[in-house]
Amino acid sequence: MSKYAFWPGCVARGAAPELYTSTLAVAEHLGMDLVELEAAACTGAGIISDGEPYLQDVLNARTMAMSEQMDLPLMDICSTCVGVHRLAAEKFRDVDYRIRINHHLAPEGLEYRGTADPRHLLWIMLEDVGIDRINSLVKKPLEELSLGPFYGCYIIRPERTLDFDEHPTRRNSLEQLIEILGATTVTYDGMTKCCGFPILTMNKKNSLTMAGTHLDEAQSKGADALVTPCPLCHLNLDAQQPDAAKVIDRNLNLPILHVPQLLGLAMGIEPEKLGLTRHVVDTNRLLNKIGA
Amino acid sequence: MAQQEFIIQRYNPDTDESYEESFNVDVQPGQTVLDSLNAIKWEQDGTLSFRMSCRHAICGSCAMKVNGQSMLSCQTQVDAAAERGDPIRVGPQGNQNVVKDLVVDVSKFLDQFERAETWLEPHEDQAPPEKEYRQQVEEFDHWSHASTCIHCGACYSDCTVAAVDENFLGPAALAKAYRFVMDSRDSRREERLQFLSEEQGGIWDCTRCYMCVQACPKDVLPMDAIMELRTMAIEAGFTNNHGSRHHKGFTSGVRKRGRLDEMMLPVQSVGIGRLLTGNIGAHKEMMDYTPGAIRLLKSRKLLTIAQRHGANAEGREQIERIFEEVEAEKHHHDVDSEAFGAEFETALGGH
Repeated sequence: MSKYAFWPGCVARGAAPELYTSTLAVAEHLGMDLVELEAAACTGAGIISDGEPYLQDVLNARTMAMSEQMDLPLMDICSTCVGVHRLAAEKFRDVDYRIRINHHLAPEGLEYRGTADPRHLLWIMLEDVGIDRINSLVKKPLEELSLGPFYGCYIIRPERTLDFDEHPTRRNSLEQLIEILGATTVTYDGMTKCCGFPILTMNKKNSLTMAGTHLDEAQSKGADALVTPCPLCHLNLDAQQPDAAKVIDRNLNLPILHVPQLLGLAMGIEPEKLGLTRHVVDTNRLLNKIGA
Repeated sequence: MAQQEFIIQRYNPDTDESYEESFNVDVQPGQTVLDSLNAIKWEQDGTLSFRMSCRHAICGSCAMKVNGQSMLSCQTQVDAAAERGDPIRVGPQGNQNVVKDLVVDVSKFLDQFERAETWLEPHEDQAPPEKEYRQQVEEFDHWSHASTCIHCGACYSDCTVAAVDENFLGPAALAKAYRFVMDSRDSRREERLQFLSEEQGGIWDCTRCYMCVQACPKDVLPMDAIMELRTMAIEAGFTNNHGSRHHKGFTSGVRKRGRLDEMMLPVQSVGIGRLLTGNIGAHKEMMDYTPGAIRLLKSRKLLTIAQRHGANAEGREQIERIFEEVEAEKHHHDVDSEAFGAEFETALGGH
C-alpha cells in the first residue's frame, strides 16, 4: 500500500472542507495510506513572506523535515501549498541557508536534509497511481461532461521549480486527468491564469473581474464545470461566483469541482461523501447529467 | 527541410478587421519564430507587420505571444514552440492596443516607468563625481537581476493584473523601482517605498501569479522584486494599507493556531483600528463581506470555518517557539545593524 505524509493545508480544513473529505474518500478507494501532518504549520502562502520571508522558510523547512523523518513522500492537495513548498525546497539547496534554518528545527529533533520532493495529489495520481490503475477503477466514465481545467498559479509557475522537463505530464496534468476519466476538455485562455483570490481583500473589483472573466469564458465555450487542484481558486470561483457575476455583469452558473471530487465521481463514490452538496454553486444539474 | 504551419493573429487598422491567417513555412533546424515571420513577410505577404531589430535578444523589440505566452520571437526556436502547440499560434502582446498585426502601442507600458520615476536621484549633499556615480560590485550583485530589463514588455503583456486594471504599474516598472530602492546611490528610498505601497496600482495589487517571472526573457524576476519591495515597505513602517494588514493578520493567525484563521482575517485586513474608530469606508468594506458569509453559511461551510481547525497542541508549542526565535534573531540583527551604522558614521566622521 502506498503511504504518504499528507499536508491538507488550511483551506481544506476550513472553508473548503469538501476537499478534505473527498481526498480521504478517494485515498480509501485507492488504498492510499495518508498520514496527516497534524503538527505542521500553514505554508504562509506567500503572505507571511510578504513581511517575513525567513519565518515562512523556517515553517516550510519544518514541514518538509517532518516528511523526511517519517521517510514518506510529501503530498499536498493545494496548488498554493505545493508551489510554496517547492519554492522553499529550491532555496534550501543552499547548504549554508539550510544550516541556518535547521537551528530552529533542532529543538524538536528535526533536521531538513534537503531531500523532500513535495507533490500534489494530481501529480501523484498520474505519476504513482498511473493511468492504467485509474482506468481500472473508473466505474462511471464521465463521457457526458465537458470540463474546463483551472490550474491555480503555483502548480504551473514558475516552471523552474516544478521539474516539468523530467515530468512532462505535469505541464497538462489536468487535461490528462479529465481525458482519462472519459470527459472532454474545454480549453480557454483563463485556465492558466490567476483566479484573483490573493487580492480579494485588497482589491475586490480586480479580483472578481479576474474570476468572472475566466468563468464566463469557460461557460461560453460550453464547459459544464471547472475542475481545480487549488482550494483558494475554488473559493474565488465558487463561493464568490455570485459576486463575480455582478462585477462583470453576466449570468454565471458554473459548478467548480476539486480534483478528488472528479476522481471520486468517476469511481462511483456517492456525491454526498465527496461533499458535492456543500458548494455555493449548485452541483445538481451536473450530477443529473452523469446520473450520479 | 520541414514545413511548419503558423497561425498568425492579424489586424488591419484601415478596415478595423481582426482575423487569423495560416502560413506554411519551410524551416531549418535551429530556425527561430522571428526568422519564420521574416520568411513570411519576404516570400508570402509583405503586408505582415511586426517589430524587430537586433535578432539577439538584446533590443527587446520582438516580444509577442507564441502559443499564448509572451516571449522574444528571436529567442524562440520553431521546434521548441511547436512542442507547446502545433500549428504555432503567433499573436500581438496582450494588455496593449494593437496598431497593426503584431505591432502594439507600447506607450501605456512605457508610461509606467515615468510614473514610478525610475531614474537615479543622487544624494544632494554629495558633490557630483568627476566621471560617474560608481557602485560596489558586492552591492550590485544583490539586485543585478533587476537591472537586466530590456523593456520588451513580455511581463506586462502576460500580467494578470494589467489585464483587468490599466492603473497597475506592472511588473517591469515595479522591478525597475526596486532596482533604485536597492541602490545606495539613490537618495529617495523612503519616498519610493511610500509611493509604491500607497499608490493605487502599486506593490499590493500584484496577485503573485508568477506570469511575469515565467515570461521574462532576461530573468529579471519582477515578481520577486515586488515581494522584496513589500518586505522593505513594511520594515520601513508603511503599513497603513490593506496589504500589510492582510500580512499581519494572516501571520498572527498562523502564530496562534498554526493555520490560517479564516474567521478573523477579513476583520484584520479591513483593520480593527479603522473599525473601532468608526471609519465609514472600513465598515462598508465589512458589509461587503456579508453576502459571501451568508452563502458560506448556506453551504454549511461556516461551520467548519468556525471550528477553526489548527495544528495539534505539540505543533502549536513548536510554532510559537519558532516565531519567538525568529523575532529575537531579527531584533538582534536590527541591533547589530544599528551598531554597525553608528560605527560606520564614527568611521566617516574620523575620516
